[in-house]
Amino acid sequence: MSLSQSFSISKGQLVDPLRHFTRQIALVCLALLSLWSLALWLTPYEPAAADFLDRLAPPSAAHWAGTDHLGRDIATRLLYGAGWSLGLSLAISLTGFVVGTFVGIFAARSGPAGDFAVMRVTDSFFAFPELIAAVTFAGLFGPSTTNLVIALMMVSWMKFARLARALTVNLGESDFITQARLNGLSSLLILWRHLLPNILPSLLVLWTNSWSRTILSVSGLSFLGFGIQPPSAEWGAMLLDGKAYMQTAPHIMIFPGLAVLLAVMVINLTGDRFRDLMAGKT
Amino acid sequence: MQQNKPLISISNLQVSAGDKQLLSGVCFDLYEGEMLCIVGESGAGKSTLIKALQGMMPARCDSFTYAPSNFEVCGAIPSGLGLPQARWVMQDPLSALNPRQSLGRSIAESLHKERLPKDHLRKRVLSVLSDVELSEEFYDRLPSQVSLGQAQRACLARALIAKPKLIFFDEPLSALDALVQKKIAHRMEHLRRATNTTYIAVTHDLGFAAAYADKVLLLRDGTVSAYQSRSAFFANPQSDYAIDLVAAAQSLGALPKAAA
Repeated sequence: MSLSQSFSISKGQLVDPLRHFTRQIALVCLALLSLWSLALWLTPYEPAAADFLDRLAPPSAAHWAGTDHLGRDIATRLLYGAGWSLGLSLAISLTGFVVGTFVGIFAARSGPAGDFAVMRVTDSFFAFPELIAAVTFAGLFGPSTTNLVIALMMVSWMKFARLARALTVNLGESDFITQARLNGLSSLLILWRHLLPNILPSLLVLWTNSWSRTILSVSGLSFLGFGIQPPSAEWGAMLLDGKAYMQTAPHIMIFPGLAVLLAVMVINLTGDRFRDLMAGKT
Repeated sequence: MQQNKPLISISNLQVSAGDKQLLSGVCFDLYEGEMLCIVGESGAGKSTLIKALQGMMPARCDSFTYAPSNFEVCGAIPSGLGLPQARWVMQDPLSALNPRQSLGRSIAESLHKERLPKDHLRKRVLSVLSDVELSEEFYDRLPSQVSLGQAQRACLARALIAKPKLIFFDEPLSALDALVQKKIAHRMEHLRRATNTTYIAVTHDLGFAAAYADKVLLLRDGTVSAYQSRSAFFANPQSDYAIDLVAAAQSLGALPKAAA
């Protein structure tokens, strides 16, 4: 049960598979980030520069993904759009992750009354479906990027709170925490050394899921016109731009659509792999 | 050593939860280097006794003395976290070790209060690892990367590194298979003799008690059914329950010949 379940051998050394995988992912992310910056720097086009002589052009050597209805280079806009679609949803889901984890641990540690109060507030936030909350918010305060971010952040933390609370309650009773207490470690140190390292992997899996869902939400809301406003190049907003030309110039929609699909899939598959490693599968 | 004063002594320990009496009238005393085996069936209050002595459960007694800290109380045992200079080895090594922390760091945490410099601490850990016959490479291993017996040895090392006067064992062998049990039991015994540490061990295993204990405390439904030296307990058990128990163990062949 214990031996051979979750270790792999490389160079004669025992490797923690989770740490190994996290390191690999970090390297890949770094590589992608540098490629992205390089591409932003190399592209000869501006994301918002219209060229009315070259509207709705199909993919070519000059415009790798063609141009849209205003003659803007779609490939360049996709690159800039990644900052909005991926970056913004990353920020939103990370906020939810941190806030939710904090709230969950706090609930689990604050005694029955505090736990009850905090978790009922969390439950009440669950009553707002993500998209509807964002649409309502946009309706009340006007469609803008700030309002979109606020609305999505407000409904992004509850899942993390629930999971973090459940994991913390479970672990709180475990023998190794008792040992740490007997050894005189402060609560903060126990949280840092014993609790977080054991609950973080599960929360990280949830976070990859939350990130990809947020990408869909941001793009979806922008597509509906509630989110990021033109001329900003967001993938969902780009889809909206292409909608009127779906028959004559499908590439305007195909490339942003593919970008969303690819991003969501990669993130989800990474999360799945992480979960498998956690469960001891290799 | 001062053999006239026991290291730990308790009389008429009472533990209750709600209106249920978990333990009553428990008395024993133990001198330095001695080993007490607490035996009894599940639910008899064996683990409760260990927790109560460490202040982890509300308990009362007529008197409780603990020599290493000149600790003497009568009445309620102050609730706190553990006795000074005592350590606790738990039943399941895998849940007693943080799965995301290397064995070396888990062991080092036992000296958390001493605030030693890092390199010194590492040396202490490596030396205690060799005491429990684990090689240096185990320092960086995670609990999931070692066998159950090795994990239990790491737990033993975590207790030993603090050079405690008293170690509590809560069924330290029950999660292990027979061969590993024997190895760990030998190691425990060897280290007890070498360091003159006092052991209080909860066990189901009368064979273990017969082989290593100085005194045996038999619990049944929260009361003491027998409290005798090892030889007296196995030759001439104090109560009917103890007689049945020893006979049963003998018929199963669980006791070594010498004790029978």
